[in-house]
Order: sequence, then C-alpha cells, then structure tokens
Amino acid sequence: MRILLAEDDAILGDGLRAGLRQQGFQVDWVRDGLAAEREISTGDYQAAVLDLGLPQKDGLDVLQALRAKRIATPVLVLTARDTVPERIKGLDLGADDYVLKPVDLYELGARLRSLVRRAHGQIQDVLTCGALQLNPAARQVSFNNEPVALSTREFDLLHALMLAQGRILSREQLEQQLYSWGQEVESNAVEVHIHHLRKKLRADLIQTVRGVGYTLQNASPAT
Amino acid sequence: MVLLRHLKSLQARLLTLLLMLVTLVWLGAAGFIWADASDELDELLDGHLAQSAALLIVQQAGQGNEASRADKGDEEDAPLADAPSLHKYAPRVAFQVFHEGQLTLRSANAGTAPMARKTRGFSTVQLSDHSDWRVFAAQGSEGDIQVFVGERIDSRDAILWAVLKGVLMPLLYALPLLAVVGWLAVRNGLAPLRQLSQALAQRQPNALEPVVLNDLPSEVEPVVHALNALFERIQAMVASERRFTADAAHELRTPIAAIRTQAQVALGAGSDNAQRDHALHCTLAACDRATHLVEQLLTLSRLESSGDGAPVGRVDVAALVQRVAADLALTALARAQELSLDAPGKAYIQADEMLTGVLVRNLLDNALRYSPDGARVDVSVTCDGKQVQLRVEDSGAGLSEAEVARLGERFYRVLGSDKTGSGLGWSIVRRIAAVYQARVSVGRSERLGGLCVRVCWAAQSARS
Repeated sequence: MRILLAEDDAILGDGLRAGLRQQGFQVDWVRDGLAAEREISTGDYQAAVLDLGLPQKDGLDVLQALRAKRIATPVLVLTARDTVPERIKGLDLGADDYVLKPVDLYELGARLRSLVRRAHGQIQDVLTCGALQLNPAARQVSFNNEPVALSTREFDLLHALMLAQGRILSREQLEQQLYSWGQEVESNAVEVHIHHLRKKLRADLIQTVRGVGYTLQNASPAT
Repeated sequence: MVLLRHLKSLQARLLTLLLMLVTLVWLGAAGFIWADASDELDELLDGHLAQSAALLIVQQAGQGNEASRADKGDEEDAPLADAPSLHKYAPRVAFQVFHEGQLTLRSANAGTAPMARKTRGFSTVQLSDHSDWRVFAAQGSEGDIQVFVGERIDSRDAILWAVLKGVLMPLLYALPLLAVVGWLAVRNGLAPLRQLSQALAQRQPNALEPVVLNDLPSEVEPVVHALNALFERIQAMVASERRFTADAAHELRTPIAAIRTQAQVALGAGSDNAQRDHALHCTLAACDRATHLVEQLLTLSRLESSGDGAPVGRVDVAALVQRVAADLALTALARAQELSLDAPGKAYIQADEMLTGVLVRNLLDNALRYSPDGARVDVSVTCDGKQVQLRVEDSGAGLSEAEVARLGERFYRVLGSDKTGSGLGWSIVRRIAAVYQARVSVGRSERLGGLCVRVCWAAQSARS
C-alpha cells in the first residue's frame, strides 16, 4: 500500500516513515504543502497522511484544492491543531480522518488501512476473493484456508489486485503501488512477481489482458 | 481632622464635619451677639439709671424748696418716705435720696446706708445681702441733694440670657434636624459609590468587561474610567496568557509526537540494528529539541510577565557577544561553519546582561542554525558614541520579504529542510529589544548574500 506522508518536521517525518514502513506501507515523504498537493494529485497513492502546519501551502488549503480537483484519495490529517472548531473544519474540508499528535504508530497504520478499505468499498478488514483471503493488518494470505507464504512485493501486488477486483490494473499502476521513491524498479519485476503468485496460488487466478494489464479472477475453491 | 481620619465611613466624616461647622458658626454668632448686646444693654440701662437719678434730683429739689418754706414755720425734719413698689421688677431696682445728709426717700429694698461710696458716677458694689449692684450716684447743683440709683447686675444678665436664648435655642432644635437632613443628603450623594461597589461585588472573578453605570457624577466618573482601563489591561494580559498557553501546548505536540514515533520505531525495529540505532538517536534529538522549546517558552513567558520592569545595568555588548560566540563556536566548527567576530572596542548600553545575552545568543544561534554547513557568519559590534550596533550576517539562503514579514510571529518557522528551531527565537529577540528600546532590522547581507540582522541600542558613555 503506497502512502504519501506530508510532514515538515524532520524527526517526526523520519519516524513516521520508518514506522509505517515497518508495518508494510510504501511511504513517500514530502515536506511542504505544494509538493503534497502535487504528489497526491498524481493518484499514485492509496492514502495520504497530511500535516496541517505545512510551509508554502497550509494543509487545509491543500485538502481544499485536492477536493476541488475531484481527487478522492483518502486523506488522514495528522496535526497539533486540537480545538474542536479546527477538527470540524478539517473534516468538513474533506479530511477522511482527523488525528491529533502524538499518535500511536500502529493506530495510525490501522486507520490508514481502514481508510483504504472504505475507499474501495470493503466492509471487512480481511479481503476475500472466492477461496482467497488476504489480511492487510496481519499481512497474511490464505487460499482454501491454507496459509500461503508470500514475499513483501508479492503480498503488495496481490493486495492491489484484490482491492481493484473487477478492474484491470496496468503494469505501471502496479509498479507505482509496489515501489516508493528511490527504490529501483527492475524492468520485468511485475511479471516476475505475477509469475510467482500464479505458482503459489493457482495458475488462472491472475489473468493477463494483453497490452492492458492484469486482473483478478473470482477464485472459486479448488475442486 | 485627626478625629475625622479615625472615621472609616465617608458619610460619617462628611456629617461630623458639617455638624461641627454649623455648631461652631452658631456659637461664634452667639458670642458676638452676647458681646454686642451686653455693651448696648449696659449703655441703655446706665442711661436709664442716670435719667432716673436726674429725675429724683429734680423732684427732691422741688420738695426741698417747699420744705424749706415750711421749715421756716416749724423747723421740723422732713419725714422719711418709702416709695411704693409698683412692678415685679421693682425689687431689682433701688434708689436712695439724701437731703443734706438725711435719707429722705428710698425704695423699699434700699437700706439706710448710702449704696455707694462714690458720690458721683457709676460704680459696682456689693450690698449687705451679697447681691451685686450697678449704682449711679449724682448730686444736685447745690450739693445738698445726693441721689443713688441702683440696679441688680443679675437682672442685666437675665436680659442678656433671654436674648441669647433666642439665638441658641433654635440651634438646639435645628441640630438634630440638620443631622438627619445632612445624613440623607450625604447618603444620596454617595449613592453612585455604593452602586459601583455593588456592581463590583457582584462580578464573577473572570468577568473583565467594563463597568457600565448610568448618570455618574463627575467625581465618580474618573474612578470608573480608571477601573475600566485596568480591566482592559488585565483582559489583554489574560488573553495573551491564554494564547500563550494554547500556543505552547500546540507547539509541544509535534516534538512529543516525534519522540513517541521514534521510540516506537526503535521498538519495532526487530533485528534491524541500524534502524534501531537511528531511531534512538532521533529520539534523543527530539528530546533535546523539546527541552530547547521548553526553555525558550519559559524565557518568553518570563519576559512577558515581567513586562517593562526588567532590571537595568551597564552591559558591554562587545564582551557579551565574544562570550556567546565562544559558546557557539564549537557547534559551528562541527558543521564547518566559519564564525568570525569583529568587536574592536567597548560598547556599553543600558540593559540587563542576562537578557541581552539571551538576545545575542538567539541571533547567533539562528544565523548558524539556518545556514548550511560550511557557511560563513560574520558578527560585528560597533559603537559610534551615540549608538551601539550589533550586526549578524550570514551566507545562508536569506529570506523572502514575505518570510521576513512573518518573522517574530510566535512559532513561525521558516522552512528549513532539517532544522529544528522552536520558532520562538525571534519572538524573544523582539521582546527583549522592545524592553530596552533597541531597534531590530532584518535585511539582505550585501557581502555574504544571506540574512543581515541589525540591532541598535542607545550607547552609554564609558565613564558613567
């Protein structure tokens, strides 16, 4: 899951990035409002953590601009502005969650997963596709009730496909989900990971739509 | 007046003063009337005595002629006659008529001996019954008739008393009435004060809005104005205090969040030692920053609460800057920054050494903190006899005009990629400068390209 972190405080930003990475998030970190608006607008992120007191452009202005541009990326506001009117304003301007500093890292992770889940219309925390089950919080996958061991990248790839059930994701879209900034993307990485997933799960689970991308078949239990 | 000071109540004071004055004036008037009336009365009654004596002489002379004619016949002595008493006042007056040493006529209350030793004019005598008399003595033109006319002195006093009673009695009746009316008037006059004290007593402790009272007399108005001005000042102070507390709480959230987050990262690092070490270092750095922030907050809070009553002494800015620069030189060296000081002479100002030190430290610290590694920071102190100027220039990126305008807003931080300022340094510099009427100006450094900050104080001559 790729998250944009917008935080101008060096030590806090560093900590949030490291902590969210520990929980399996791909995190990109920007330090000012303009960069935050620009990056979230690309649509490459499944959610954003937005500080409000950002230099160059205030977080609330960023939020307002994003919503005006009809960009629906879930935004979790993480701020020190603690008065009730400020919270109400933040939520009314389009924040999906409003969290006060300091926050527990794992609670932040859970809130982000919840935001992403709801953004994809999921109700339960465990994603299901036929006999295939994926638990984002525990980062566990089971098929026919048997646990399947997946690498980090394989898990993230499968997670992206499961969230986008019924839609086709291009190779570029999948790459963007898998890698944060500064990580080297091998040229055929997505193909390799898809290949491994097919081997570990079932060959026809992930369908290739030639020239377009990949999609998840409804995985009925094996017979 | 000493007595008045013992009276706590304004009403009692006014009333006592009023009654004392009225009594005094009245008594003065009575004294004056007494003196005047007794003079007039004496003259009038003495006149009456003289008149009566003249009448008696004339009458006796007439009888004497008749008697002398008759005497030629029988040589008999004229008989002694007692004049009848015709009026209740009669016992108070007395007369004796002697003819050739013989008492020929007297009032009933007069003795047989002459009333006075003096044979002419007025005298005051005490008769055998111990009563004081005013006696007028006169002689006929031939010297054979001697007349004494006397009047009891206490009868004169009785008349005087009667006159005085007319003056004093109304006062006796009027005083209580005056007291009551005065009390009511004073009470009525002081009503606005009572109203004011009531309005103040009914206030909630945190109610600081101005007192509004209608129809204030001009004596009470200044009190209310002064009170309202005081309320206004207190309100501003409380508001600033509240804002400060809110700002401080808000500003502490981020450093605490950083500490907590980094600590959690360290806990969750598992076998990744490099990550754990990094997170722990960051935790320490965040703690240092929180400490710095708290120190700055306390400095600012102390400055704001001490107001303009800050201590004043003689401070040599040159020596002070040298000390602060020496303190900061190590940190600058660690970042390969070149810190140079040009402070050739003494530069005395009137200020507090500790506070000026805080100001200088904040300026130098800001210049070093927000300049990149390897940057140059030039500090100079000059004194031209009239003013002392401290100039801090750096070769950093400088600030845009918009950023300069926002400097000194509490907690405003210029975007520095990894700089951890409290955002309070400028507030502190501005505040200390204001306390000692120093001018602070921020601009671009011509020589180094970065920021140039100037602080100007009025110089104090080295001798004094």
